Amino acid sequence: MKLSWIFGPSMEAHHLLYAYVAVWLIQGGYAAWIAWHWMHDGMGARPSDTLNGPNDNS
Amino acid sequence: MTRSRTYGLTGLVWFLLTIAAIAYATRLALVVAPTEATMGNVQRIFYYHVPTSMLSLLFPYVNFGASLCYLYWRRRDPLKALTADAVAIASAEVTVVYASICLLTGMLWGRAAWGIWWTWDARLTSMLLLWLLYVSYLMLRKLSATGQAHTLAAVLSVFAAIDVPIVYMSIQWWRTQHPAPVFFGGPDSGIDASMKPAFGWNVLGWAMWGIFLLLFRYALERRRQELEQDAALQAIEASLEIAQ
Repeated sequence: MKLSWIFGPSMEAHHLLYAYVAVWLIQGGYAAWIAWHWMHDGMGARPSDTLNGPNDNS
Repeated sequence: MTRSRTYGLTGLVWFLLTIAAIAYATRLALVVAPTEATMGNVQRIFYYHVPTSMLSLLFPYVNFGASLCYLYWRRRDPLKALTADAVAIASAEVTVVYASICLLTGMLWGRAAWGIWWTWDARLTSMLLLWLLYVSYLMLRKLSATGQAHTLAAVLSVFAAIDVPIVYMSIQWWRTQHPAPVFFGGPDSGIDASMKPAFGWNVLGWAMWGIFLLLFRYALERRRQELEQDAALQAIEASLEIAQ
């Protein structure tokens, strides 16, 4: 089956396209937000390998 | 190899596997799965809507468990409580992301299938309530100035988790515009065998993605906590030096 119909003029094609694009945008946007903070927050500070305290046995 | 480097490498491999799984699942959903007889192509929203909806009812339980652990440990073992708190905020955010997608894709599907964007039936309303509860949870943590925000949020999370079984059971307890359960909903429920691979791969792919987001956000929160602890220690040391 060809995928070109998804760009067609019908409401079902529009809504299907919007739904899939919205999912990627929301998920990708949230992942990008985390990644941005990971890169920029506390620049230069490295998480130590002994993050947990002495009472933490996990 | 250091521990953080091992985690980073594992995360990267997991991320790449997840992207591959989602790409394959999307191809199955849009190209391979047959067109549904009644609704036509718009039914393909199902392959994203149902897996994300299922997951939006699972992540609240991670938040629930982490909040209970936080409440238990907050006086007994503050360091463990911090770990639980990081899991709690990560799972609450992932819940909001998945619930938002559930609501949005549901509305897009509803407009095309039912002719309406929204109706105040039990399933849609209880799902909206779930979304509002977890948005409230995040806003409480962000905006509260009482110093007890994390404890209050943990208590709210325990109550929010009560809505999850109500959302799940709503289509069995009440007559709703929303269709009956696709799975475990009686003898007439289920999907055609030709649709199962697309559905199964989407469940797998979005579950892997959710776990990736959860762990990535958890790691970010732990780093933030560590920086806060360092800043607090430096402030104490500085005040001691001034006192001397």
